[in-house]
Amino acid sequence: MIIYVLIYLIIIGAAVLAVISKKLINSAIMLAVLSIGVSLLFFSYEAPWAGVFELSVCAGLITVIFISAVSLVKQDDEEFKEDRTKYKIFPLILMAFIIISSIFVPDYFMKLSGFAVYVNNSNESIGKFIWLYRGIDIIGQITILSASVFVIKHIFFRKSDTLEEK
Amino acid sequence: MSMTINYPLDWFFISVLFFIGAYCMIVSRNIIRLLIGFEIISKSAMIAIIASGQHTNAINLAQSLIIIMILVEVVVIATGLALIVKFHNKYQTIDIKKLMNLKG
Amino acid sequence: MVIDFLSYSLIPLFSALAIPFIARKNTRLVEVLANITLIAGFINVSYILLSYLIKNDPNIITIDIFSLLMIFIIYLVGLAITFFSSNYGIENETNPISYYSLILIGVSAMSSIVITQDIFSLYVFVEALSIVSFALITSNNSEKSIEASIKYFFLTFPASVLIIFGISILLLNNPNLDFPTIKDTSSKMLSIIGLSIIIVGFLIKSGIVPFHFWTPDVYQGSYSPISAFLAGIITKTGGIYAIVKISSLITNSSLNYYLSKILLVSGLLSVIIGGFLAMVQKDFKRILAYSSISQMGYIILAAATFTPLGIIAALFHIINHATFKTVLFLNSACVEKQTQTTSIDELKGLEHKMPVTSWTSIIAMMATAGIPPLSGFWSKLLVIVALWKSGNTFYAVTALIASILTLVYFVNLQKKVFFGKLPEKFDTLKEAKAQLLIPVVVISAIIIFSGLFFNRIYSYLLKII
Repeated sequence: MIIYVLIYLIIIGAAVLAVISKKLINSAIMLAVLSIGVSLLFFSYEAPWAGVFELSVCAGLITVIFISAVSLVKQDDEEFKEDRTKYKIFPLILMAFIIISSIFVPDYFMKLSGFAVYVNNSNESIGKFIWLYRGIDIIGQITILSASVFVIKHIFFRKSDTLEEK
Repeated sequence: MSMTINYPLDWFFISVLFFIGAYCMIVSRNIIRLLIGFEIISKSAMIAIIASGQHTNAINLAQSLIIIMILVEVVVIATGLALIVKFHNKYQTIDIKKLMNLKG
Repeated sequence: MVIDFLSYSLIPLFSALAIPFIARKNTRLVEVLANITLIAGFINVSYILLSYLIKNDPNIITIDIFSLLMIFIIYLVGLAITFFSSNYGIENETNPISYYSLILIGVSAMSSIVITQDIFSLYVFVEALSIVSFALITSNNSEKSIEASIKYFFLTFPASVLIIFGISILLLNNPNLDFPTIKDTSSKMLSIIGLSIIIVGFLIKSGIVPFHFWTPDVYQGSYSPISAFLAGIITKTGGIYAIVKISSLITNSSLNYYLSKILLVSGLLSVIIGGFLAMVQKDFKRILAYSSISQMGYIILAAATFTPLGIIAALFHIINHATFKTVLFLNSACVEKQTQTTSIDELKGLEHKMPVTSWTSIIAMMATAGIPPLSGFWSKLLVIVALWKSGNTFYAVTALIASILTLVYFVNLQKKVFFGKLPEKFDTLKEAKAQLLIPVVVISAIIIFSGLFFNRIYSYLLKII
């Protein structure tokens, strides 16, 4: 029980720091810490495959993409001065929300989870799940990957690409 | 060894994380910070699926869903950042107030 | 059953992946390949459908007519857009290789959406479709299209998150997420809550009131042939199809009363608000966008009754509305290319100079307004009869009265834009190229014929149940 609460505190702490911090690079790094925390949570819920994917993809790939995007738009970070008070009062608003939701939310879901159905046959391996039962998702993955290639090429169009042949 | 944790407690944390992400999206003026809020909300949705999967002992089904969701999320984030970089190339700013003032 | 139809979604995918390799030799081959792929698919589907329609033999196919009709309309609209884009001159504004690849991947993703039997696969393919549409909207690098794409991105992401939360609540009750399993457990309270959250997510994606704020800006700002693609088929397969499919699974029990009422109210508000806001607009494409919102309201009204007649009416109206909006948006792209403007204050008397464009637009507008004997009249009649028979008489009467609004703004639009005196600066206007008009004429012919032969089509649709 202690481990779960500790991991949740890491996650929420990283999220709050990602919102409050002034520079964008610090927010991106706090996002990576958040992803590591979520991956640890998946491991402790006995979902090792999800944890491994989350760690390698989110904590690695997304952070790299964010930092490269932040570097590309760098010179406008200091141009407009945002109103910092909205961020400074954020922890107080968060405390208020935690107190309010701790009254309503757990009771509602305790009632809902009473209707849940316990599944008996799910000791099969995950390979069987991915390939046999959810085989059509693999076609979905192929579609999304091929779409992403052409999407990035299409968004960054330069006119010199098509005038070369003329 | 499985330590069972309360299912309602999971949803309490999911709602807190959702609130943090939603606040970040509503309040910030920088478009990249909006995307960071979007990422936090997506993470809370993924934790919801794993929690539901563990509560009914169907953790392998939930894992196979999560593996595909992670891929979808990465591609959506990459597309969003590409759009923002193109927006910056045209307007020289990443302020969302400029976006709202362009048309009605 | 999925294995039978899988080729409809895999073949465009392979063509899309083969396009960059072919383009090294010759750029014109790319357009030929894209057109041929879609023509082959279209001929295949229409052969199956027509043989079923003419011979009336129930043993030819043992599969789902719902999916087959949707694949037919997807390939029809995709073929029209590809053929139109080949002659529109897109090489000056955008990269033709990735453009055709993205259209083919879009058609593949949409075919996969209508043949899958699983809610999570539906979500994955809907996300693939949204990624493709983000890129296609910004095709011409103008300022309006970038802004339209970013607005579309940020105003439809809550839909994805809500769908995932709905699936997570649905997981508590169903051991796997197939459609037959969901149909069995659809009377329990957890399933109703999960399905309601999923339906709200798809309502955001399809542009229904109160989530309609992204629709006019996105339709107006995007590149013109892509507006036709977006309004013609993407908002339908990406949003409304899932709602109609889930409504056909829900059995009519006592807990569904609230869900039905919420859908009826939002549908009725869309019809009325879309109608009123369309009357005060000054831009041709924005009027078409608000008219889309209004017609989607009719589809939601039909699906909200949870009865078989309602599902048939919703499906027929989806197919009809796809044809109407494709014709109207393609014509507005032709007009915009010739006159460089889309404001209705400046466009007057176009009928003298562009006769084919004007008359096909007038046929499509009259069909949307519901004038007999075109196909729009029959589908609206089915919607109102379905509402009346399921006991929601107030909604039926109000929907009937609101269809007068459609008539008002479309007659107004026709009078201003197409008839009247031609201003001086349009004296040198010419009709659009003949190849650009072929898709529009073919789809108008389909509208007229399906209106005249409605009897056969109705007995054919009854076999869906």
